[in-house]
Amino acid sequence: MLPTCIVLFVFVVYPVCYTFILAFSKYNFAFDRNMTFIGVQNFIDMFKDNQFLAALKNTMEFTLYMFVILVVLSLAIALLLFNKKEHSWFFRISIFMPIVVPASLICILFSFMLADNFGIINKFLMDIGLSRFTHNWLTDGETAKWCVIIVEIWGKVGFCTILFLSGLQNISVDLFEAAELDGAIGWKKLVYIIIPNIRETFVVVGIWAILQCLKLFVTPNVLTNGGPANSTLVMYQNIYNTAFNYFEMGYAAAQAFVLTALVMIFSILNMKIGKKEA
Amino acid sequence: MRRQSKSFSLFVTISLLVISLVFILPIVFCIFTSFKESTEIIRDITFFPRKWSSVNYGYIFARGAKYLQYYLNTIIITVCSVAITLVLSALAGYSFARLPFRGNRLILSLILFLLAFPLCAILIPIYMMEFEIGLLNTYLGIILPNLLCILPFSIFIMRGTFIDMSSELEDSAEIDGCNAPQAFLHIMLPLAQNALIIVLVSGFYNVWGEYTIAKTLASKDSIMPISVALTLLKSEDWNYGVLAAAITMSIIPPITIFAIFQDKLVEGMTAGSIKG
Repeated sequence: MLPTCIVLFVFVVYPVCYTFILAFSKYNFAFDRNMTFIGVQNFIDMFKDNQFLAALKNTMEFTLYMFVILVVLSLAIALLLFNKKEHSWFFRISIFMPIVVPASLICILFSFMLADNFGIINKFLMDIGLSRFTHNWLTDGETAKWCVIIVEIWGKVGFCTILFLSGLQNISVDLFEAAELDGAIGWKKLVYIIIPNIRETFVVVGIWAILQCLKLFVTPNVLTNGGPANSTLVMYQNIYNTAFNYFEMGYAAAQAFVLTALVMIFSILNMKIGKKEA
Repeated sequence: MRRQSKSFSLFVTISLLVISLVFILPIVFCIFTSFKESTEIIRDITFFPRKWSSVNYGYIFARGAKYLQYYLNTIIITVCSVAITLVLSALAGYSFARLPFRGNRLILSLILFLLAFPLCAILIPIYMMEFEIGLLNTYLGIILPNLLCILPFSIFIMRGTFIDMSSELEDSAEIDGCNAPQAFLHIMLPLAQNALIIVLVSGFYNVWGEYTIAKTLASKDSIMPISVALTLLKSEDWNYGVLAAAITMSIIPPITIFAIFQDKLVEGMTAGSIKG
């Protein structure tokens, strides 16, 4: 117990407080000996900084798309798995497997598959006679964005599916039978029986998904490294660059602060919406 | 049981099959690629290898000392982190569940709060701290922040399990002459086996594939885990066969463990996140 607390305090409470102080100071780790207190200057600079604004915009965009796709897709897969009673182990294993595969390695693999001249995806398109759709996926800003989203979803959808599936399994069988007697089938069953009964799961999945979207880092970092032309630069990546490439610790801390605030706001919003509907 | 129409069940099976393929093909492709020669990878671009060759694996074991070093680093970091997590989370979970002490709720909510905290916000001070005390580029310097990432979830799982256990068992053990630590060790821990497995497996794959911490805190080849090292090699080394072989080697352990403990893990992950 005590060691845990110590680890947590040294590595959490202290850093959090330190970040807070840093956020209001100017401190270049490479050049400055001490930090200087500059008040809210960092936050003012932030909103004049194109780099930061681009990152903020991209993060929001990614969060919007990924959140919607994640929730819809994982619910759909969970429903399919729920309706598949026999021999589902193969599907379960293959759908849940990406959770455990190291994300950075998967990104290398995908960057290889998406490569322009020797990627298997372009080759496949050529083979089935769609060569006009071949594309330099990762160097075009627009498609690079979607590549990041797709790779990210590939790795994350399994976890949401697990959550939804267990939510579905918690609905009592009686309820389904009663609903079916009352004539609720197909879409009606989905809208009136299933969705209202897994509201809690929606909140959990929602919070988890929002967190993952805002904390997006590995995929764009490995796949495109924020490029081409900042089209996949996310806040996390920008903070990383500011802190560990330019060593502007104060400025980076201020940005991290904004990201944390965003995470909190979205989580609370999610919980509030979940509660209101209940 | 509900009855399903034939066409509906066929639709379900086919869609699941397609979805599973989407998830599984990249991995299969990686494994196949690792058995191809490099001319075949770059020029022919096939899915199946025409000629199975083990040249890439031969390269790694004969001349790729640095790959083996990365692999070893990953193993050291993972094993240490998971072992420490098992001990700490069992103890902490038990304390939170059973021992009344002041500030219990406060610390618990602090830990919960951690689950939601973006890593980069604490990584900056951690980096500076480790720089000051010389922990950068050491195993310990990577293991400690890793603990931070997996401990909250683990403590939560353990706490949940100990709360669900009846305290009568423990009481009867104490009547039989066990003191609290003995009761914990001999009665409670064996009963918490499932939770321990969940902590072990989820900790294992999280640390094994960890990227952000290691990328920030390790810059030397002798410390870097494979999840970071390969991304750097990606831009230097264009020998994709070897790269694919290394990827294959490093995705097999987590997949194997996952396949073995799949049922328990799925169950536990949901329990943990719903309670959280």
